[in-house]
Amino acid sequence: MRTKSLPELAARDVSFSYRNPVVRGVTLELRPGVVAGIIGPNGSGKTTVLRLLGGILRPATGSVLLKGTTPLTALPRREIARYIAMVPQSAGDGSLLTVRQFAMLGRSPHLSLFGFESARDEEITLDALEMTQLVSYLDARVCELSGGEKQRLLLARALAQQPKILLLDELTANLDINYQVELLRLVGRLTRERGLATLVVSHEIHLLAGFADHIALMHEGSIRLQGPAAEVITRENLKQLFGLDFQVRSLPGGSIEILPAIEIRRHT
Amino acid sequence: MNRLSGRRIAAVSIALLVCWAGAVMLALAAGSVAIAPGTLLGLLWHKFVGSAAADDPLATILFAIRLPRILLGSLVGAALAAAGAAFQSLLRNPLADPFVLGVSTGASFGTILYSMFTASWAAAGAAGGLAYGRPMAAFAGAAMVIGAVYFLSAGGSRSGEASQRLLLAGIVLASFLSSINVILLTSTSQADLRGIFYWLIGDLSRPVDASTYAVTGVVFAGFIFLYPLSRSLNLIALGEEDAMILGVAVARVKVAVYLLASLITGAVVSVSGPIAYIGLICPHLGRMMFGSDNRILLPAVFMFGAIFTLLADTLARTLLSPAELPVGVITALLGAPLFVYLSRRRSSL
Repeated sequence: MRTKSLPELAARDVSFSYRNPVVRGVTLELRPGVVAGIIGPNGSGKTTVLRLLGGILRPATGSVLLKGTTPLTALPRREIARYIAMVPQSAGDGSLLTVRQFAMLGRSPHLSLFGFESARDEEITLDALEMTQLVSYLDARVCELSGGEKQRLLLARALAQQPKILLLDELTANLDINYQVELLRLVGRLTRERGLATLVVSHEIHLLAGFADHIALMHEGSIRLQGPAAEVITRENLKQLFGLDFQVRSLPGGSIEILPAIEIRRHT
Repeated sequence: MNRLSGRRIAAVSIALLVCWAGAVMLALAAGSVAIAPGTLLGLLWHKFVGSAAADDPLATILFAIRLPRILLGSLVGAALAAAGAAFQSLLRNPLADPFVLGVSTGASFGTILYSMFTASWAAAGAAGGLAYGRPMAAFAGAAMVIGAVYFLSAGGSRSGEASQRLLLAGIVLASFLSSINVILLTSTSQADLRGIFYWLIGDLSRPVDASTYAVTGVVFAGFIFLYPLSRSLNLIALGEEDAMILGVAVARVKVAVYLLASLITGAVVSVSGPIAYIGLICPHLGRMMFGSDNRILLPAVFMFGAIFTLLADTLARTLLSPAELPVGVITALLGAPLFVYLSRRRSSL
């Protein structure tokens, strides 16, 4: 997994603060064909790292480098949006648009100043909608979609950007477990088939642990530990991070099963 | 719905241009002296081929009084409607209109101050080299208000709430500045009280002068710079983070749109006074007809605003004929109920 090639996107010793420091000295690399995951409790700074990597926030110190060399801060937003697609935790309003129109917005960074979407743009958009299984909803309004469909639509919009890098913030939050698994499988398949450098941020450790190739454990703004999933996801590490006992089992095929040891006593 | 194309925009533009020409003919014919269609066409033909009789009173009414007012009304309507559509996308609120936001009142405040400094109210702006002075003073007033409104409403935690506070701040600031305007005007012992009163409501009856040409230039230049931002505005209307993700330099586009919309609002208000709700009514009807994509909405609303305003002004001229109402009365009568309707429905863009 550790190749000599330059990472698509890398954070180098990045820090960021609002009033208090939120992210401290984070170093992280995203490589083509690899799904990286950040796991951590709520408020640990995961989303901030994702937004720093997407160039939505500027690091206070350190830098985010595209292709290992170009700092994001040196690039115009349009240029960044051609490389990096993001699915934010809460997307903006677009409820009156149709599914097709909404996904087509992903083509924006590729259009010229006075340009209109061409047949080619429509083709790319339809391809993205097909992959996310939304073709049967083309002319439905966004407000008519269920939670899972809306998340798939956001993923379709991101894919229509034809990015090299995909940043996903709690992509599967609030979905039923079968949709969660289905959506993550799709992301994994796309990452490998298209050589995307993918980052998934989630607090749902049991999902991410079995799915990401490379995992970073985040706590109070800094990355405590990162590496191949099998090395990072251990009973000791999880206990430190969440203060809870877990059962960790390696499954054949390289994935990992995690069960929190929950014991809920009834009042007597 | 079909993909948007340059052809569709051109088709809509041409159709609206034809409608505008029709509205112009109607407005030329209507008035305290009605001109029959045949006579009207004859007069226009003679003017066109240059064989008009010099002292025909009908020709004087037509070309010296009605036509300039019609063109002025078209310009004012186009500018206010386009500014309204831009503000609505920027603030993600269909109620954001230059009048409601206080921008128009700010522009009239700037105009009045300018007129006081250049001594004579009536002659202000007529002094050749100062043609741009009055619209620029109005722009300064407009930009000042939008800055103040933004500052007053800052700190709203949720975006919907922030947007509501912005409108409230605008309404409050507008009523405050209206009072200042009245104090300023009363203190300068004006002879033409009726003219001032009408101008404060929004009126198109003042004669065309050098600054009117300057205003025309400013409006068209402002619109030409605004139009290329229309796709970015579409994305900002979704949400600022989404716009950034999709490649919009949000901060820069916002400043540019605020300034350009204030500029064209200020420019026309310096001539017509703060005409209410044109920037609310026209974009709303425009969205119903052409959708909310600013690439087609902005040019469509620019022309639709012209048509609407010149028809409203024709109504103002003829409703109580031979007496004339200021056009702002008509637009407020139509706009206020629409404001109530839209704010109850709380529709999104």
